[in-house]
Amino acid sequence: MSIDLSHFDLVAENDIVVVPVDKLVDVATYLRGQGFEYFVYCCAAHYPASESEPDRALVEYRLRRLPAEDVALRLWIPSSDACPSLAGLWQAADWQEREQFDLVGVRFAGHPDLRRIMLPEDWPGHPLRRDYAIDTRHFPWR
Amino acid sequence: MAVGHGHLPEPVAALIRARAAVPNPHLDVESYDPEGDLLVLNLGPQHPSTHGVLRVKLYLDGEVCIKAVPYLGYLHRGVEKLCEKLTYVQITPIVDKNDYVAAFSNELAINMGFETLLGVEPPPRAQHIRALGAEMQRVASHLLWIGTFGLDMGGALGGGATLFMHTFRERESILDCFEVLTGSRFHYNTLQVGGCRHDIPAGWETLVRQTFATISARIEEYESFVRTNAIFLARTRGVGVVDAELALSLGVSGPVLRASGVDYDLRRDRPYGLYRELKVNVATASAGDCQARFEVRLAEMRESIRLVNLLLDGVPEGPINVLKAVKLPGTVKPKPGIGYAAIESPRGELGTWVVADGSDKPYRCKIRGPSLHALSLLPYLAPGQNLSDIIVTLGSLDPIMGEVDR
Repeated sequence: MSIDLSHFDLVAENDIVVVPVDKLVDVATYLRGQGFEYFVYCCAAHYPASESEPDRALVEYRLRRLPAEDVALRLWIPSSDACPSLAGLWQAADWQEREQFDLVGVRFAGHPDLRRIMLPEDWPGHPLRRDYAIDTRHFPWR
Repeated sequence: MAVGHGHLPEPVAALIRARAAVPNPHLDVESYDPEGDLLVLNLGPQHPSTHGVLRVKLYLDGEVCIKAVPYLGYLHRGVEKLCEKLTYVQITPIVDKNDYVAAFSNELAINMGFETLLGVEPPPRAQHIRALGAEMQRVASHLLWIGTFGLDMGGALGGGATLFMHTFRERESILDCFEVLTGSRFHYNTLQVGGCRHDIPAGWETLVRQTFATISARIEEYESFVRTNAIFLARTRGVGVVDAELALSLGVSGPVLRASGVDYDLRRDRPYGLYRELKVNVATASAGDCQARFEVRLAEMRESIRLVNLLLDGVPEGPINVLKAVKLPGTVKPKPGIGYAAIESPRGELGTWVVADGSDKPYRCKIRGPSLHALSLLPYLAPGQNLSDIIVTLGSLDPIMGEVDR
């Protein structure tokens, strides 16, 4: 069973909805009002620039209406842009978005406290980006 | 009676409680009442009560917390980056070390994520072994929690380490069962994409039955430790009350959520593997305090023991891996796609989000650990609490830092 989002001109395929960046907050607010109160995760994956696409990130939010109705909101964010934050709607988004910022380097606009969460504050780069050089040694006594 | 403010005159305690009444994790302490005598205290990172290496910066007014800021990452080992650099079959032993007291659940979650992408389903015998292992692991994990929770409360349970020693004795016997099955006590490396690596050896069923019959009787003993213990009740009842709505919004799952009155368990509500045919009785409590979380975990142990005995009755014969049986695991290459699979680990919803690009390594693999979400309750629970109650609250959330930091 999938949720009806036709008034946003969006189609849910199984439980996945590809959302344009400018509609994310509206869709999320609507879903919050429809009883999707359980925040499952916020994940991001980095895709380096190719011939057809610029450097970008895939961000996915999964929300759940108990007991078992899921919606996964999937967005493509160009690296030059920021993703709108959902921390005002679900408290869990606070730490989850901080983690994705820290590791993947996606910036979240409107986040109350966008700091690194896993790595030290002065860590260079975002390790889960595909162009991160893992051969470079990082010494703990920088 | 004002719990936890016994040493302060009641008007003063009430004043401080009123100041800290609205929990705000983003509170600006600079603008805090200048009359209040603020003390900044670092709890951890090296402290037994922080269950690993967690640092919490506490802003205290007297002994009452105004704001708590957890600092994570002391145990960050880059597991998700490692997953990108290893093949699908090499990842299982790495994720064992995430939630290091429930390694079997980690293996189950990650392999189910990969199986979703591959579109394979393990054969019935492997499903039985998986469900058996998961339930045995749940009992072992909860036993460890009860013991360390007793430690967190110091002398409340007969000199601190008494309950700890009792539960570790029983946990050890479960680890012995795992050792007979897989050859390892903690980090099993026993599940593979498509099934299991180790088959049930002869005589194992008898061993497991005996072990769990003993534990079943001993659970009564733990209950008798605490039911009549006035100190245990005074320190857990009404302490760290979790609001169900906040818990859902924070993505909290597992026993912490169920102790707040939300009747939700992935084994029943989003069944996977053998749980599609199995009826699981879900334990809940409504109070939402530390005592309720204790009750829920105790009831879950009983239910898991029932399931273990039930599962041992009906282990079918047959292969244990749907892919071709090999000593050295073969390579798998899922088609490009994105998959998510979640299980009910002892701490709640343990999920795996995998992006495949058609190669033999995941493009991106995110582990959604329940401990991180449970720990994110702390900035909301700590304000207004006494320092000693914060330790009990933190312990009752059962965060495993290996899974929080990954």
